[in-house]
Amino acid sequence: MRRTLMFALMAVFAVPGVALAQAAAGGATDWVKPAAALAAGLGFGLAAGLCGLGQGRAAGSAVDAMARQPGNTNRIQTAMILGLAFIESLTLFVFVIAVILLFVKS
Amino acid sequence: MDIIEHPPILRLPGIPDHVTYTWIAMLFLIVVSLFATRRLALVPTGAQNLMEMVLEQFHQILDEVIGAGGRRYLPLVGTLGLFILTSNLMGLVPGMASPTANLNTTAACALIVFFTYHVIGVRKQGFVTYLKHFAGPVPGPLKPLMFVIEVISHLARPLSLSLRLFGNMAGGHILIAIFFFMMGFDGLLGWALTGSFGGLVIGAPGTIVAAAFVIGFLLPLKLLVAFLQAFIFVMLTMIYITGALEEAEHEAHHAPAGHH
Repeated sequence: MRRTLMFALMAVFAVPGVALAQAAAGGATDWVKPAAALAAGLGFGLAAGLCGLGQGRAAGSAVDAMARQPGNTNRIQTAMILGLAFIESLTLFVFVIAVILLFVKS
Repeated sequence: MDIIEHPPILRLPGIPDHVTYTWIAMLFLIVVSLFATRRLALVPTGAQNLMEMVLEQFHQILDEVIGAGGRRYLPLVGTLGLFILTSNLMGLVPGMASPTANLNTTAACALIVFFTYHVIGVRKQGFVTYLKHFAGPVPGPLKPLMFVIEVISHLARPLSLSLRLFGNMAGGHILIAIFFFMMGFDGLLGWALTGSFGGLVIGAPGTIVAAAFVIGFLLPLKLLVAFLQAFIFVMLTMIYITGALEEAEHEAHHAPAGHH
């Protein structure tokens, strides 16, 4: 079972590599665009996932605090929204980099 | 970058879309303000009532964040907030573009905030005192290091302020554009309309699911994000102004102990 899975994974990862290598043999810079697409996808996926973890912690703590101190809900909410904005801005930097990789012609 | 979910109808030749729609947002706000202030009454009705309600919200946040004397900055904060909110919401109207989905507009707003809060700080406490405060409350030898770090952090503020607004708006547009493409005639709906078996089994339900997802989740989310991002921009503007103002008191507290 595990060996089958490993072969499947190897096929998935190796076949595009082979195709890429053949394509690269044709032109000198043909690999730039697929590599940029790969980098944009992987990078943004990583950033979004880790941002989700961070924002989850922040929102969880805020909900916890609101449950303990219902009188302070408004101020906790404002602080939470600001914190979420700061966490999110890091992801948005990656988003901008991904957009630059994908759409800006160099 | 031409990924937008609905191309704007009004296109002036030679002028970029975001500039055209910035003018439209300005026109809208000017007309609403004129209507609100045309016949001022003690007991407000109609447009005046609406604008007073909105501005009272701004007053409340200003009092909360800046405290006493915060209402001086209502012109700056209120203009930025209303303009950004209008621009964000314009992106949700079919046939209109949202100016804040372009980095130039948001960078302009962020630079205005950047220079304004420095000018406020310098005018409040003088150039040297304001500069001194970048060094922070650390012992002497560490002050140059702290100064450099603080300057970098201040320079990063307009960058993050503009990129946050731009990224949220443009990201939403790209997401909805991709969903429209996926469920449109080139995607699931087209597959369903070919009448093939796969189209009937996957394409037709997929179209319905995607449409329900967009209408029920993505568009309300974009509405929420439009309000939230305007709020965050305004909130950060006020926090930066507070930071520039508060340093005077801070310095006064530390002056006897810190400087000989």
